[in-house]
Parts: sequence; C-alpha cells; structure tokens
Amino acid sequence: MTEAILSVQNPDGGWPYRRGGPSWAEPTAYALLALEGAAGTREATDRGRRFVESLRRNDGGLAPHPAVEESTWVTALYVLLNPADADEAALKWLLGRTGRESTLLHRVRMKLLGVRDEYEAAPPAWPWYPDTAAWLVPTAATLLALRRVQRRRPDARLAERIREGERFLLVRRCADGGWNHGASRSLGFQSFSYPETTGLALVALAGAQAPGMERSLETAERHLARCRSAEGIAWLEMGLRAHGRTPARVPEAPVRTVMDAALRVLAQRAAEGANPLLS
Amino acid sequence: MRAVTRREWMSGAAATALAGCRRRQPVQPSRVMIVRAPAYSQSLYDVVRRMLGELRLDVRGARVVLKPNLVEFDERTTINTHPLVVHAVLEALLALGAKEVRIAEGPGHRRNTLELAEAAGYFETVPQFEARFTDLNVDEVVPVMLDRPRSKLRRLYLPRTALDCDWLISLPKMKTHHWVGATLSMKNLFGLVPGAIYGWPKNLLHWSGIPECIADLHRLFTGNRQRPRLFALVDGVVGMEGDGPIHGVPKPAGVLAAGYDLVALDAACCRIMRIEPRKIPYLQLEARPGALEPEAIQEIGEAIRAVETPFELIPQFRFLRL
Repeated sequence: MTEAILSVQNPDGGWPYRRGGPSWAEPTAYALLALEGAAGTREATDRGRRFVESLRRNDGGLAPHPAVEESTWVTALYVLLNPADADEAALKWLLGRTGRESTLLHRVRMKLLGVRDEYEAAPPAWPWYPDTAAWLVPTAATLLALRRVQRRRPDARLAERIREGERFLLVRRCADGGWNHGASRSLGFQSFSYPETTGLALVALAGAQAPGMERSLETAERHLARCRSAEGIAWLEMGLRAHGRTPARVPEAPVRTVMDAALRVLAQRAAEGANPLLS
Repeated sequence: MRAVTRREWMSGAAATALAGCRRRQPVQPSRVMIVRAPAYSQSLYDVVRRMLGELRLDVRGARVVLKPNLVEFDERTTINTHPLVVHAVLEALLALGAKEVRIAEGPGHRRNTLELAEAAGYFETVPQFEARFTDLNVDEVVPVMLDRPRSKLRRLYLPRTALDCDWLISLPKMKTHHWVGATLSMKNLFGLVPGAIYGWPKNLLHWSGIPECIADLHRLFTGNRQRPRLFALVDGVVGMEGDGPIHGVPKPAGVLAAGYDLVALDAACCRIMRIEPRKIPYLQLEARPGALEPEAIQEIGEAIRAVETPFELIPQFRFLRL
C-alpha cells in the first residue's frame, strides 16, 4: 500500500484525492501520516511536508489548496502532522475558531427573530470554512489534533476545547447511535448515520466516557459488516479498536483514492496497536 | 403565539421584497419540452434522444459535462437522479456528435462520492463510469469573481471541469426541498461548489443566502458568454415529495422535462408539481419580469396541465401550493 501511495504523489510534492488530480492538503496530510516511519520514503515525505508548508498562511492557518486564499479546517491536519512542534500560530488559529451558530451575535439575532435552533445545547465546535457552522469532520479532526498536542504538552485551553468538541459530537449523534455529516435531526426528522463519519467520530471520542457508547459501537459494527468503501471500512475499524473492540471480520473493498490507501495503512497500524492518530 | 421559523421568515421577506418591485410585462416565451415517461425502462433512451433532437441541442464537436443530482443513498426512497436517465442523455449526446461527455458531481453530504455513485447504481448502468466521472468536490479549482452578486459572496472557487466545457447540462431529480420549496435544475448547480474547500455540507452557501446563491450560480453561466452554455433535463419519472431533498417519499410523476432556459424549465416543473413558481425566491431573483407567468412557458410535447401531479408539501411550505 505504501508503494501505491508513493506512486500517485504529484510533482509539487502533494497528493491528490484521486490519481491525476490536483494536490490538496487533506490527502497529503493523511499520506504523510501513513508513510510516517516507512522505509525508503524520506525523500517523498520531505517533498510532501514542503508542499504542506507552502499552504501556510500569514494568519497561522493552512489553505486547503494552493489556489485558495483562506485558511480552513485543514489547519487541524497541519497540527495533527506536527504535534511535537505545533507552532503557536496554528494552534491559536484553531483555538480561535468556532461554528458561527455558537457566536453570541448569532444567538442574540436568532432569539430576536424568534428562530428555533435545533441544536441549542451544542457547545462550540469547528467549521469547515471560516464564518460558517460547525460540523462533524472538522470537529473530529481538530479533536484528534488537539489531543495529539495535549499528550505532549498539557494545556488548559486545549483541554477545555477538547471537552467542548467531545460534547458537540455527542449532541450531534444520530438516533441510530452513529454519526453523519453532523445533522442528526432535520425539521424533526431523524437522520441516518454514515459508515465513515461514524468511524471517525469514534476515533475522535477515544477515551471519552459517555452514555450510549455501547449503542454507537454496535452501530459501527453493523456499518462495518456491509460497508463497501475502503475509507469507511478503515475509519470503522479504527473507531472500534479505539474503544477496545476487535472487529469480527473486516470486509475488503477496492482502494480507489489516496484517502482509501492512507487510511488502510493507518487501520493496519491500529490493528498492530499503534494508531498514529492516537499516539 | 407560534415562533416564526427561519425558513418562513426568509421566504416571506424575500417574497414581499421582490413582489413589490416587479411589474408584469410581455415576455418572450421559453421552450420547455415535457414528455411522459412512466418508468425507468429502456424506452427512456428513445424518449431522451427524441427530446434533445426536438429541442435542436447542437453539441457537435462539443465537450459536455452532465451534472446529475447525487446526494445520499437510501434504498427506501429516491434521492438521486436515476442512472438510466443520465446514461440515456450521455448516449444521446454522443449520437448527436458530442466530442466528449463527462459526468460530474460534488455531493453535499457524503464525502465518498464513488461509493455513493455505486450504491445509486451508476457503476452498473453507465459503462466505464469511473473513467467518465469527475468528483467536483476535489477537482482542480479556479477563483471566480461574481458579477453583481445577489448573495453575500463576492468570489467562489469553482471546479475547472465545470468551467472548461462547452455545455453544462443539469440533470436534477424533481423534488420538494425543505429550505427552498423545490429543487430542480437551478438548485442542482450547488453541486458545482467544491466540498474540499467549503465542506460537506457546503455551508457557506447556506449562510450567504440559499436562494441568492442559487441565483448567483445560475447567473455565473447565463451572464457571461465565455462560460459554458446551460441546458437541463429534469428526472420526474419518480420524484420526491414531502421533506425533500433527502427525507421525502417517492412520488411518481411520470415525466421528463427539458429546456435551455433553466428558469422557465424550473417554473414549468413547479407547475407540474402544483407549486407556485412565483413564490419561489430563487426563481423570483432570476426571472425576467413576467417570466414566471404561465404564458411565459412555450410547452412542447405534453401540456403542463395534462401531467400535473401535486407533490405533498411540508406544513411550512403549504403556502406554495398552486
């Protein structure tokens, strides 16, 4: 799988989501995590890291693509990649972000308009893009990043945001026990969960004590039994292992994307007891 | 007193503001072709070919991008454009002499687009689907400045595949929508916006005003002759009513509808669904004066009245009933 990842690296040092596509921050970050410590990959990972560095912006954040002039959620992946020496600017950028729905201005405005918020109880979490609402993937990715830093240099600011992020994930859990993109209800209708986001949320909640986790793990097992995407399978496998569950059977699925390949490597590491995302 | 929902407040405000500043004027009718199509069967291939021929869609030597509506997959309902419709259009375009036809979509919720397409039957129905497909969520992007935007946006990054073709063909599902009333060929343009920048969902569009962003995306193409021309064909064989675009229930309408003018086409489809197009804010924003009146649609094939199929509306949108 390492060879497969290396074979699709772009000349600019980054990785695309799919072979032949442009380089993006996210697949590059996961490719680098997957290649961490693999023999004979030094030159490729150095080029990959230089690509990531080229996406840094003056505000401390990271842009998702060279053409983009805004820092976005992928700043979490930058911190995830550099937990030991995560610079203060990137951390500050992350800690300074919340979903727009949790800002005081928005809450007051909605109150004055008499608009009901389906998630009033949800604590602040992280958006995909600045000045928009918080959602599951950026929140889960930021939790993984902040925890990785926190393990190396404990910080009260990080601890507080980690607690809030965990609570956010729990509030946004679907009725079936799993997670989707982050909207568990819509106009009173219960939304159903997805395999990949259920697995990711479980990884992000590793070690969190919360009611209903048993049901979430059962849902993850159900998803895993019929999941047909390599990405979904890898996240589910990692999610179950993060809570001490060994999957009874891990299905096979075609590896179509860089994320598929990188996450499969990370899942293999998790099976060996060394998930880099949780180390 | 019941609290006013955000949806009701926005719809009411937009409708009031726009109704006041529009005056009815004579308008050149736009051609919309409506054909009965009772089932997803092999006969769709002939039906679609006849529609495109009748509308004289000239794609000889052109690079065409088909933009279906792929959102989520739930076997209990009909969320996505049926793959047979997409394949029928693809085959018809190739028969008409198109140089290249790609299928492209950027789903708004599921990140794993290929898995979604597979579950929705695209791999099974469209030969070499993966080679023909571009995931617009992760395609190369180009910054585009919006000209006189209706929304709060000034610039959008958009996928190169959607900007570099000659024809962009919107292939939506006929559905009700719990934010904007109805989702048809114009709302389907939301799928052009790359998730790798704006996320899943593309929440920036929600905060910037959904009807206004629909209007901006539409105008991006209609307001600039350098950009791809638009055409659309709506899959109304089995649509979705109630809490669309995801949680609604299947609604057989038994029609396909197509045209060059997406405003007229969507207005016609609204009328088929027994929804008042003049109350849909994004249509109000993009319609020329008088263009949402019944006489602004030149019906080809079936008359709207002959295929009307009332779609169930959620309580918040019952005021849209025609």
